[in-house]
Amino acid sequence: MAKLRVLFENGAPERIIEFDPSRAPFQHDGRAGSILDVLAGHGIHLEHACGGNCACTTCHVIVKDGFNRLSEAEENELDLLDKAPGLTPTSRLGCQAVIEDDAEFTVLVPRFTINAA
Amino acid sequence: MSDDTVGATGRLTYEGTITRIIERAPDTRSFFLRLPASQPFAFTPGQFISCLLPIDGEMIRPYSLASNPEEPELEICLNRVPGGVGTAYLFALQEGARLRFTGPWGTFTLDQAPEAECVFIADGTGIAAIRPMLRRALNGRSAHPIGLHYAAASRTHLLYADELETAARAHANFTFVPLLGTPLTEEIERRYVAADTDRSRHFFICGVGDIVPRLRDLLRRSGYERRAVQYEKW
Repeated sequence: MAKLRVLFENGAPERIIEFDPSRAPFQHDGRAGSILDVLAGHGIHLEHACGGNCACTTCHVIVKDGFNRLSEAEENELDLLDKAPGLTPTSRLGCQAVIEDDAEFTVLVPRFTINAA
Repeated sequence: MSDDTVGATGRLTYEGTITRIIERAPDTRSFFLRLPASQPFAFTPGQFISCLLPIDGEMIRPYSLASNPEEPELEICLNRVPGGVGTAYLFALQEGARLRFTGPWGTFTLDQAPEAECVFIADGTGIAAIRPMLRRALNGRSAHPIGLHYAAASRTHLLYADELETAARAHANFTFVPLLGTPLTEEIERRYVAADTDRSRHFFICGVGDIVPRLRDLLRRSGYERRAVQYEKW
């Protein structure tokens, strides 16, 4: 089982999800097994204005633990992250970062998403 | 912003009325949305809206705005996706129906033409995002060359063809190149990679599927600056 701890910058209580990555997808948006897929499939809302198609930055998360165990970011994701507010070295798009291993991860959902260019 | 327009997650949602539906090509329609005067909607050419469709609770479907911000109605243009529940829902709507959405979203935008030659590349319905960007660039009275390479399955699938041809006649610096058979990558490579060593051009690419990253990689690897090659892949 993998363990995903979710922190919210807006002060909402943290959530912990334990799940079997091999059972992905958990719902229909984002890559199967992505942070977005796991969260949405477990009843936790993460904004994803483009429907999880890697065309915006609204599912930006900051990975606090487990960054190197996520799937590697592709160029499209990196290009979009360049435009994300509050970018950090461990920023990822929730719709693209896939949890493939039974490991422990912690992500922070930033307070703000961007509603414009 | 009133409470009833803000969803549980804090999103500002809009509700537009479909005033017109136009069949632009087989299985391709434009929907024109009018918002109440109390809900002004500002956006930048190239951005999209996320339609909130009442399917399985709520289904998000993003669509590029094909209209310009100065127009009174918003236009989205989409083709029916075989087996797609989102487009099946939208294609069943009639004029007068209401559509909820959030936005504007997206960072693939052009507010004014860059001070350089500007090349737009559209594949299929990718023209929807490109159209307002192109119109904005043409209205900017830039002296630099502006090109549009637009690939479609056939002449009938070439959306906005009359408008684009008219624009090409009206603007001496604008070249419209419809592509109805020539592979897009070959055309772009021939014109902008093999033909010269000028790498000062700016590119704006929009389409569906792998053609978009293929064009991106072709241009970036041939020496164009990363940020001079902007794209949106659906």
